[in-house]
Amino acid sequence: MTKEAVYVALNKIFSDIFDEPITLFPETTAKDIDGWDSLEHINIIHSVERRFGMKFKMGEISTMKCVGEMVDIILARATKG
Amino acid sequence: MLFADPFFLYFFLPICTVLYFVSKNGRYRNAVLLFFSLLFYAWGDLKSLPLLLAAAALNFFLGRLIAGKRPAAAKAALVCGILFDLGLLVVFKYSAFFTENFNALTGLSLPVPEIAFPLGVSFYTFRLISYLLDVRWEKIPPEKSFSRFLLYVSLFPCTVAGPVVRYADISEEMRIREISVEDLYAGVSRIAVGLGKKVILADLLAGITEELFAGEIASLSVLGCWYGAVVYALQMYYDFSGYSDMAIGIARLFGFHFPENFNYPFVCKTIAEFWQRWHITLGSFFRDYLLYVPIFGSPRKYLGLFLVWFSTGLWHGASWNFVIWGLYFGLFILLENLIGKKRIKKIPVPVRHLYTKLVITVGFGIFYFTDTARLGAFLAGLFGGNGNPFFGETLLYSLASNAFLLAAAVLFSLPVVPWVKKKLEETPGGLIASGIFTTAANVTLLVVSTVLMITAESHPFLYAHF
Repeated sequence: MTKEAVYVALNKIFSDIFDEPITLFPETTAKDIDGWDSLEHINIIHSVERRFGMKFKMGEISTMKCVGEMVDIILARATKG
Repeated sequence: MLFADPFFLYFFLPICTVLYFVSKNGRYRNAVLLFFSLLFYAWGDLKSLPLLLAAAALNFFLGRLIAGKRPAAAKAALVCGILFDLGLLVVFKYSAFFTENFNALTGLSLPVPEIAFPLGVSFYTFRLISYLLDVRWEKIPPEKSFSRFLLYVSLFPCTVAGPVVRYADISEEMRIREISVEDLYAGVSRIAVGLGKKVILADLLAGITEELFAGEIASLSVLGCWYGAVVYALQMYYDFSGYSDMAIGIARLFGFHFPENFNYPFVCKTIAEFWQRWHITLGSFFRDYLLYVPIFGSPRKYLGLFLVWFSTGLWHGASWNFVIWGLYFGLFILLENLIGKKRIKKIPVPVRHLYTKLVITVGFGIFYFTDTARLGAFLAGLFGGNGNPFFGETLLYSLASNAFLLAAAVLFSLPVVPWVKKKLEETPGGLIASGIFTTAANVTLLVVSTVLMITAESHPFLYAHF
């Protein structure tokens, strides 16, 4: 799976959750997206895990600093394309 | 020893600061801080000092194991560490509460343990847990020096009542700290503001709360109940944010930058926002270490939310009213989440302010009454359930005799000072004027607070009990 494909899939997940078109960049953080709070974060994690057939570790969920870090974890662990 | 105590402010702190600055390098400076931190703790609770030292030693050792090369040992060390730290809270804070409830449920009469509450245990256990988890998650490397670790655990500006400073917040400053004149000025200013909040506002507001709530609650008028809860909310704000200001200011004198704990909570437009502005370090602790714990399927969002608010309540004290208080706020956050941010934003701002202020006011009432029967009478009283008039003489008398205090308390709980300062600084020569005003205000606060500390009856910081 390519990095670009991961971003395309993530853009769709985020756009569905936040109900508006969202384009993510490696440096995007929760501060950049209105409404990305700790509860919405759980929805995001859950959707990402289902979409890519993978699991985040407990520590990763609260320590990921930006979308770029999330993408690296997905690339290393995804079982679904 | 308390922060709002002339002995601490004019003897302990200056001696510690002078010895700190005459010490020639960082190592000696840390040694001075460690000595004064342990002295501060022993002064407050000598009997519990061995427990603090033992907890620090064990967590230090476990932290090294967690970062070690053997995965099984690392996992076991993490589990042991967290169980031990939570066990400290369970034994020293909740054993009597649990036994009483167990007896009530089963009809048994097990002896209720009478264990003294070790100073600051609620706060230092959380500092230890965050350390272990952050090491496990490779956010920070384990501390190699035990004396530095012990300094982190016992650091006197945050021992008694927070903020919940994490190792990651100050790990670099534990080694190297540069202290400028600005740091000293900012530190002293912050101490003056915090002291003023505590001694002038919180302690005087405490008198009003006591007048209204300490007596027969069922005889209070409807507005009297609401008024009492509003005053108590303001008292709690000035007490705890005053303490936090002092902690942040004292730490700044020694080059530490503690995270902020309050950000004008009463300007919030949702309850979720209130908790992003009130006791910020506790909220973010629960968010980072507890919210994401439930790892099964989709219900985990709400299970995490329940865990966070149940724990937030219980953390504040071994009494059911605190649990109800936590879940009460959790319920509103859940509702806000179900409604969704976009729809909430469409609600007119005055309505949102009214909603949050009502919820917060009732919340502080729940927080005040540890006795369930009295809490029931208060809640009934809020809605006229006690058959009392809407408006009573007690309220009128209290409003008339405390008008200036109440006006000041409301005014300063809103970001008025930063707004005036910003406006002033935008004018020509405003920077100098703002500097002069700020310094004059801080000196006045220090003088007035000192006079009050010496003459008035002192009230301990409320959060030291949690």
